[in-house]
Amino acid sequence: MNSPATGRSLGLLLCLNCRATLRDAKLPHSRCPRCESRVHQRKPHSLAITTVLVVAAAVLYVPANLLPVMTTRTFLDDEPDTIMSGVLVLLQSGSWPIAVLVFVASIVVPLLKILALAVLLFSIWRGTSRHRLQRSQLFRMVEFIGRWSMLDVYAVSLLATLVQIQSIASIIVGWGAWAFGAVVVLTLIAARTFDERLLWDTAPHE
Amino acid sequence: MSPVIVCPSCDLAHRQDSIRTTERTQCARCRAWLQHPDGAALDSAIALALCALILLAFSNAYPLVTMQANGNSRDTTLIGAALGFYAQGYASLGALVFLTTVIAPLLQILALLFVLIPLWRGSRPRGQHTLLRVLMQVRVWSFMEVFMLGALVALVRLAKFAHIAPGIALWCCVLLMLCLSELTSITSPEQLWRWVERSRE
Repeated sequence: MNSPATGRSLGLLLCLNCRATLRDAKLPHSRCPRCESRVHQRKPHSLAITTVLVVAAAVLYVPANLLPVMTTRTFLDDEPDTIMSGVLVLLQSGSWPIAVLVFVASIVVPLLKILALAVLLFSIWRGTSRHRLQRSQLFRMVEFIGRWSMLDVYAVSLLATLVQIQSIASIIVGWGAWAFGAVVVLTLIAARTFDERLLWDTAPHE
Repeated sequence: MSPVIVCPSCDLAHRQDSIRTTERTQCARCRAWLQHPDGAALDSAIALALCALILLAFSNAYPLVTMQANGNSRDTTLIGAALGFYAQGYASLGALVFLTTVIAPLLQILALLFVLIPLWRGSRPRGQHTLLRVLMQVRVWSFMEVFMLGALVALVRLAKFAHIAPGIALWCCVLLMLCLSELTSITSPEQLWRWVERSRE
């Protein structure tokens, strides 16, 4: 089977900002004639930058889950809450749909994103050409679900702002929330620095 | 114009004459969307953007929720939620919330209006390229729909020990969320540049 014609093999360049197709671009310092943004055959240093971001996110995922995201202070005692204990509180109060939502958005989605990006990076590094379509679809799923993990950050921000009744109860933000926010932002940036086209640059397997 | 369409996701080249521009088309190899249909009208994009701007103003001007517990009452606005983090010494988290719920939607709407209104009037907008670039960068960080779900989670947790009353701003946020998602879908990068190129003809 002949290798199919690609932008690279035809000497065409796609501007990712405005989707214009460029001919005869002078790499590596080209700008799109239509929208004036920088164009590259592939995103520069995509593998290295994405790897660093994913490793950083994986490291921060640990404190994000172990440290309390918030502490409820009443005149009796302090009650720290991690993400998981927050899910359990919701479950015990009978609102299980919300508990499942928080569990998926805050625990499953970030973990899935880190693992998926790691698998994709590893597959490109090894130069494998198998399951390219599935890997491409996996990446698009990561891109699509990424933003929903911000949910818990917003929930904590509202709780910490509203529950400030000095004599009765107040909610104090914990470093877990910071680590969690960092995980979400790092994985969001990682999905943007990752160049999906690298998955397809290997020759087909046949 | 080039008769070839290159897939943004896998770099496969497609002959343009095999593709109709009025349809949403998928890449033959990786099934990514190659192009979005040319359908939406400039007028409706401007109307939606203006509507979103008004809703954003209301969302920030009124309290989102009011909480009552033991005779105490507290409320918060959209910006107040970001300031809550800041007040507790987490400035970076506050900035993250502020950027994704206030600044990004605001810039998204303003950039769009500054590009679309001159196009609609038939004049050549100044700084068009920069504005469109800003729009593309900023749009990915506009998280209104995620904020709404986060607010729902917070309200469910609070409803157990306090009386919670949703404010006007909460309903405005819901409408804003719908407005922004429709606005984003009718102003794809291809569509925006189609409008720009038509104005130059």
